[in-house]
Amino acid sequence: MRESIEAYLLIAPSLFGFVAFLLLPIIGVFVLSLFSWDLIGDPHFVGLANYRTLAGDHGAWNALDNTLYYVLLNIPAQTVLALLLAIALNRKLRGGKVFRVLFVLPWMAMPVALGIVWTWVFDPRNGVVNHLLALVGVAGPNWLTDKGWAMPVIASVNVWQYTGYTMLFLLAGLQAIPQTIYEAAEVDGVTGVQRFFRITLPLLRPSMLFVLVTNVIGSFQVFDTVYVMTQGGPGDSTTTMNFYIYQQAFQLFHAGYASALSIVLFVLILLVTACQFLYFRKRTVYDFS
Amino acid sequence: MTTRLLRRCLLYLALVLGAVVSVAPYLMTLNSSFKDTHRIFATQAWTPAVPPTFANFTQLWGKYQMSGFLLHTLLVAVVITVGQVTFCTFSAYAFARLKFPGRDLLFAVFIATMMVPQIVTLIPLFLVMSKLGLVDSYAALILPTVFGTPFGIFLVRQYLRTIPADLEAAARIDGAGTWTILWRIILPLSRPIMATLATVTFISSWNNLLWPLMVTDSERITVLTVGISALQGQFASQLNIVLTASALALLPLIAVFLTFQRHIVRSIALTGLK
Amino acid sequence: MLRRSLAAAVTCGMIALTAACGSASSSTASGPVTLNYMIWDAGQKPAYQKSINQFEATHPDIKVNIEVVAWAQYWSKLQTSAAGGDMPDLFWDHLSYLPQLAKRGIVSDLSAKIAADKVDTSVYDPKLLSQWTSGSTVYGLPKDWDSIATVYRSDALKAAAVTAAQLGASNWNTTDGGSFVALLQKLTVDTKGKHPNEAGFDASHVKQYGIALEAPNGQQDWWDFGVQNGCKLQEKAYGTWTVNSPACVAAIKFEQDLMYKWHVAAPGTVTNTPNAAQLPQILAQGTAAITFDGDWDLTSFYAGLPKGGWGATTLPSGPVGSGTVYNGLTDAIYAHTKHPAQAWELEKWLASSTSEKIVADAGTVWPGIPSLTGGFADAWKQKGVDVSAFETETKGTTMGYPLTTTGSAFNTVVLKDLNQVWLNQMAPQAAADDVTRTANAAAGSGN
Repeated sequence: MRESIEAYLLIAPSLFGFVAFLLLPIIGVFVLSLFSWDLIGDPHFVGLANYRTLAGDHGAWNALDNTLYYVLLNIPAQTVLALLLAIALNRKLRGGKVFRVLFVLPWMAMPVALGIVWTWVFDPRNGVVNHLLALVGVAGPNWLTDKGWAMPVIASVNVWQYTGYTMLFLLAGLQAIPQTIYEAAEVDGVTGVQRFFRITLPLLRPSMLFVLVTNVIGSFQVFDTVYVMTQGGPGDSTTTMNFYIYQQAFQLFHAGYASALSIVLFVLILLVTACQFLYFRKRTVYDFS
Repeated sequence: MTTRLLRRCLLYLALVLGAVVSVAPYLMTLNSSFKDTHRIFATQAWTPAVPPTFANFTQLWGKYQMSGFLLHTLLVAVVITVGQVTFCTFSAYAFARLKFPGRDLLFAVFIATMMVPQIVTLIPLFLVMSKLGLVDSYAALILPTVFGTPFGIFLVRQYLRTIPADLEAAARIDGAGTWTILWRIILPLSRPIMATLATVTFISSWNNLLWPLMVTDSERITVLTVGISALQGQFASQLNIVLTASALALLPLIAVFLTFQRHIVRSIALTGLK
Repeated sequence: MLRRSLAAAVTCGMIALTAACGSASSSTASGPVTLNYMIWDAGQKPAYQKSINQFEATHPDIKVNIEVVAWAQYWSKLQTSAAGGDMPDLFWDHLSYLPQLAKRGIVSDLSAKIAADKVDTSVYDPKLLSQWTSGSTVYGLPKDWDSIATVYRSDALKAAAVTAAQLGASNWNTTDGGSFVALLQKLTVDTKGKHPNEAGFDASHVKQYGIALEAPNGQQDWWDFGVQNGCKLQEKAYGTWTVNSPACVAAIKFEQDLMYKWHVAAPGTVTNTPNAAQLPQILAQGTAAITFDGDWDLTSFYAGLPKGGWGATTLPSGPVGSGTVYNGLTDAIYAHTKHPAQAWELEKWLASSTSEKIVADAGTVWPGIPSLTGGFADAWKQKGVDVSAFETETKGTTMGYPLTTTGSAFNTVVLKDLNQVWLNQMAPQAAADDVTRTANAAAGSGN
């Protein structure tokens, strides 16, 4: 009983902020999804009409497709790279601290300037990438105006931006693993690759779960990069769900429909995340009990 | 021995390559902040700014309220960071270590809210602020995240679960209460994650654009991102100022990162001792 | 017990909140009224600040806070604050959004105030004023105007022995391109120095394109070809879209031909928004010799190109004649402003000849009052730039912004489809059909 009271006291401030500034607006979105509203006039109750529109909306399905494609491009690359980086920088390495700062730098960049920066990099005529490719005799593609390339470019830009960030969490997780465990393992003759798979990875599982869950959620909601680089184009080949939601809410002023789209995306992410938790729980039980 | 040396070299090569890719865009931005508009337009981003011009910097302070922007942003980011780290650690400890009715359900609800796309929730959040009469105030900038976020709680909770439970059990046997355990055992051990959370919170508050843009109007509280984004025109932008400001905006973040990073490293020694 | 501590915590928080909110709203005591004035161009702020300083001096009971929000976020911010019932008292209004805002009754009708204060509206260019008038309703007093003209690099013209006068007097047609395409052929060179009308020209290695055209909705490119070709985007003001009419499709086709048939215009890979370099930059890089652009970018050309190294001339003429897009802004008064009288004072001031003169004489923007245009031209003459072409354009055939409540649907679909046309991935007719269908359907959906 005392423990319960203490626990509630501890979470009280967060709970208050959570209810007032997160849960309440989210409930608002649920309610809005049943209305037709252009933000200015009065909202009209339309029941489930927004959801019915959604079912027949080619644009929404296309955005869903693009989002899944993006997540598949982004998550594996970003997670593996970040893990490798974290392991490399977790050793005693000369200059390790410097590298750590350098790798995290992309994530600190102010979004406002990024649009300009990507023009420098991916412009087909004057961009860095095609200049470098030309040096080795390759004629670079048109990157952001090429339907095949635009999404991989967006995904790699996000890998660039978030690998160092992801690495931070994994590094913190790695450093929480007591050195004594490794020492004990060494006595038992567990080294190298075995050590990684039998000690590091299982013990890193809580951090891994965190990183995967939050990155997958973030990837499903990719927006900034699309906004500054392609605005969903060429055609609608990089229109992701969140960009589509933005367009509906803030360019076309269909706040109700955008809310319905948000709810659908939410349910989708919820399902994916639930799977992740179940997977990790199962594995964790096997390894630790 | 030679294979070991070779592996080291390869590792360094990979790290250096990655570092170059990471830093190059920033260096180009910094480089461009020493060019006037004509040279930003006419020369490549990697062409050195020789001779450099400092006009962009003087303009930022003379013509635009850079000091004001920095001050407002700093204030907001510091308050949010302090609140976030404190309250997230409290909640995370409760979720990770204490038993109380509704714990798992509550935690699930917290996590679930992270999955609702942020963009549309800003509209009802704006309405909440509007009803509270807080539009165009520091409170509107700070309140939504200062009490901790599901992200932060989740982060710290996951970390606390990696701390062996026997440390705590031993303390309990010695008669320590929850508060003592929190202060004496959990907090010292949580330094790395608190430092990580502080870094993440500070940087994301610093770079947040959409919400401050919506909820503030006056110059007296304009934050950096809003101030800078205002310089982007309908068609052509004042690239020289935008680039210079964003190059500068990164410097405090690097400083913050370096400060907190020391704690991340120091904690290894602590964990090692136990 | 649990529930009680929880309730206590929530109450605590609520008290903290109300305290904070109390301190925020306690400043509504008597004293000067503060008006919020929202604009989207930071470059114009200094001139407006100067004008407003004068206004504040003569109106000690009114303070004005100018808020700059970039165009990209301007309308979302405006709509969101409308949802909160908390819009700026006065804000720059654009014709592609006015009808949507007016329909919802959040832009004040000024006609009664104009009559009561006997404001002389005959000083404004009637073409501009009429765009902001619907029946007897007046949504704003013209504060400025803009038009589209040709901007060129002097060295590129000189190297190709082309003169600005020739460009301004040139004609285009859809069969052989006309003298306009002939001039652009001279201005286009590949890396081996060949022109597009010469054997051995390599279209994939162009060193300098004759022209670069870039516009998110068409204002600086195909609308201008359209008006020169007799294209009407709408059947009438507030009527249905007719973008797929033959004259409009031919204009779009001509622009696509400039890129892919004549090879004299930079293709969409170079110019498609949002990732393309901006027009002043494209000229400064030497990617193109000329461009069509609005006078709002003059400052950018001035900062980005060598002094005296560029100039402006009139647009070419098309099959139907000359023509440009002629547009202007007004200040809108929020219909539910808490300070309607003060907001009207500010509106009147900003549209007065005193204020428009301050802004025009600083070379900031062409004034909505024709008798003051000389001030703007002189300001630029002092910088060594002859901007008269923009004014010349407005004397001939012009088109205004389409007036429609489906502006945002139109803008969104146009950006998407026309970008594909400029990439040669979509036929002009198909794009025009899709734009027409989508934009008209938006009207049907009540939005």
